[in-house]
Amino acid sequence: MRPCMRQVMDRDMKILVVEDDRTTADYILKGLRQEGHVVDHVADGRDALPLALSGAHDVLVVDRMLPGLDGLSLVRALRGARVTTPTLFLTAIGGVEDRIEGLQAGADDYLVKPFAFGELSARLAALARRPKAQVEETVLTAGDLRMDLIRRTVTRDGVEIDLLPREFALLEHLLRRKGRVQTRTMLLEAVWDISFDPQTNVVETHISRLRAKIDKPFASELLKTVRGAGYRIDG
Amino acid sequence: MVRRLRALLRSTPVRTALVLVAVIALVSLTTFSLAYLSLRRDMEANIGANIDQHLAGFRIAATPETLAALVAAEAAGADPADRIFVFVTADGTSVGNARAEVENDEVQLFPRRDGKPLGRFGYVSRIVPGVGGLLVVAESRKPLADLEATFIRLSVLNLVPTLLISVGGAVLLSLRGARRVARIEATLERLAAGDLAARVAETGHRDDLARIGAGIDYMATAQEAATAALRQVSADIAHDLKTPVQRIAVLLSDLNDLLPEDSAEAAIAARAAEEAERAVGVFHALLQIAQIEGGAPRLRFVPVDLTDIARTFAEIYEPAAEDSGHALRLTLPAAGAPPVTVMGDKGLLGQVIANLIENALRHTPKGARIDLAVAGTPAGAVLTVADTGPGIPPGEEGKVLRRLYRLERSRTTPGNGLGLSMVAAIADLHGARLRLADNAPGLAVTLTFPAAG
Repeated sequence: MRPCMRQVMDRDMKILVVEDDRTTADYILKGLRQEGHVVDHVADGRDALPLALSGAHDVLVVDRMLPGLDGLSLVRALRGARVTTPTLFLTAIGGVEDRIEGLQAGADDYLVKPFAFGELSARLAALARRPKAQVEETVLTAGDLRMDLIRRTVTRDGVEIDLLPREFALLEHLLRRKGRVQTRTMLLEAVWDISFDPQTNVVETHISRLRAKIDKPFASELLKTVRGAGYRIDG
Repeated sequence: MVRRLRALLRSTPVRTALVLVAVIALVSLTTFSLAYLSLRRDMEANIGANIDQHLAGFRIAATPETLAALVAAEAAGADPADRIFVFVTADGTSVGNARAEVENDEVQLFPRRDGKPLGRFGYVSRIVPGVGGLLVVAESRKPLADLEATFIRLSVLNLVPTLLISVGGAVLLSLRGARRVARIEATLERLAAGDLAARVAETGHRDDLARIGAGIDYMATAQEAATAALRQVSADIAHDLKTPVQRIAVLLSDLNDLLPEDSAEAAIAARAAEEAERAVGVFHALLQIAQIEGGAPRLRFVPVDLTDIARTFAEIYEPAAEDSGHALRLTLPAAGAPPVTVMGDKGLLGQVIANLIENALRHTPKGARIDLAVAGTPAGAVLTVADTGPGIPPGEEGKVLRRLYRLERSRTTPGNGLGLSMVAAIADLHGARLRLADNAPGLAVTLTFPAAG
């Protein structure tokens, strides 16, 4: 949501936005272009199909309600044609069923409108960089921080750090997505497997406890707060 | 039994019947009484005329002896039970079919020692001075008594069937109507409790009860439509305002970044951005409540383990509670107990726990305890969030569930006044009963889910 979010994504992603609502489309296009991405936009599902079939985009943003060809059918058609471009499904609030259907049709993630731009941006980055079933890593690192997934230990600068199970899970999630912003909602979904709207800074309290263990005793800060968006591990 | 009888007596048909019976009885009794009185008067006049006739016959006697002979002759042919003829001479002897003692103008009659007994019904008597004594002629009152008995029998024969038929008919009618009245009452209760979908929905009748039922249904439909329209309008407003306010927040953030850091202008822009974000939060919550009230999430209900969610949320909020000086305590069924499962939406049930815990954190002072508990009871799964804070003033319990309502003392604390409304909407969606009770001290919020099955 804030300009400093522009560091969130790799620049120069090619994104196709399929959205018929002018206002929402403008909001998305402006934000994504400010972040330095190349964005194509169509308002009609039928126009979107040949563009998406070309496979030229890194990620697709598809609205549920579209003239011509609706979002669900579009995604189904793409998956049927073995186009695997990561797709984020936009659904209107009230259309709870849409997201389930969207995921079933082959979308990779969904976002309920209206949404904060930071949330969209972070989720698109996560989608575009989704690891492709790679070799299972056993050690994750960031700077001088080292997480051993077999022995379940964390050391920084050679000093062993004692973490609670959930702190370990939180750190593991951030390390696996090193350099990418994770929003509070994404963290709640990934670490606690729950999706809800906290009115307080409840995620922040967990982050600050983690930070107290992995950053505070050391010279540099690995776990960064990205204002208005979420958190990121650098290094 | 007594209660049912009382209820029956209070029902309209029975009451109407009782009043009717009373009126009919009154009219009949009056008619009968008048008829009786008139007949009796005639009969008494007849008896008097009879006596006079007999007396006239005795006037021809010129001497006491003839009179005595005449009386004796008449008396011999008369049954003293029906009619009495006595001639009391100056020396007190009685000639006739009875004995008579006259004192002043009163006569007392006795049977003769050797004669027949007198009648049981008393006599109408006349005393006339004759030659050499007093002449007493008396007629039995038996016809009058018979008349009275006949009238009493007639009244009973007339009234009892009327009473039985009217009251019986009324009870039958009222029993038949009772089920329909109960249905109307139940509908009104549900409507009063806020269930605007309740309807009497009665078909096949065209009487006054049916008209009342139809009227109630019409009113409920209108009310439901008005409420739905109001909800739609507020959801539309929230929806339409959210995007521009969101853009304002973005613009203010941009502005904040352009202004020199730590400048007064930047601080104002940052504060304005925060306010705009809060407004977005309110709109978002309003839209979510509208969506929940729409009932669509019910379509994807699955069995959810409440203990699991409670454990997760206790863990999520534990550090926050600790930071603000609260003690968050989790109470779950003993290990080995059956899981406490409800049909529901995991995310929304989590939102309930989150809102209740955040509410408790926000409105209770440092040092207060917050208890999160899940229990399986025969009445259904029970979720409780209780605190030891200041609680809710008596009488305000209903109001805090209203959208955007805030207690006077909470005006300055953060929060949008929608947390409990959302809890109420989600509880409703799950068919759970929401109760706000005094935790003495503090507030205890309980959700009782319908028992599985």
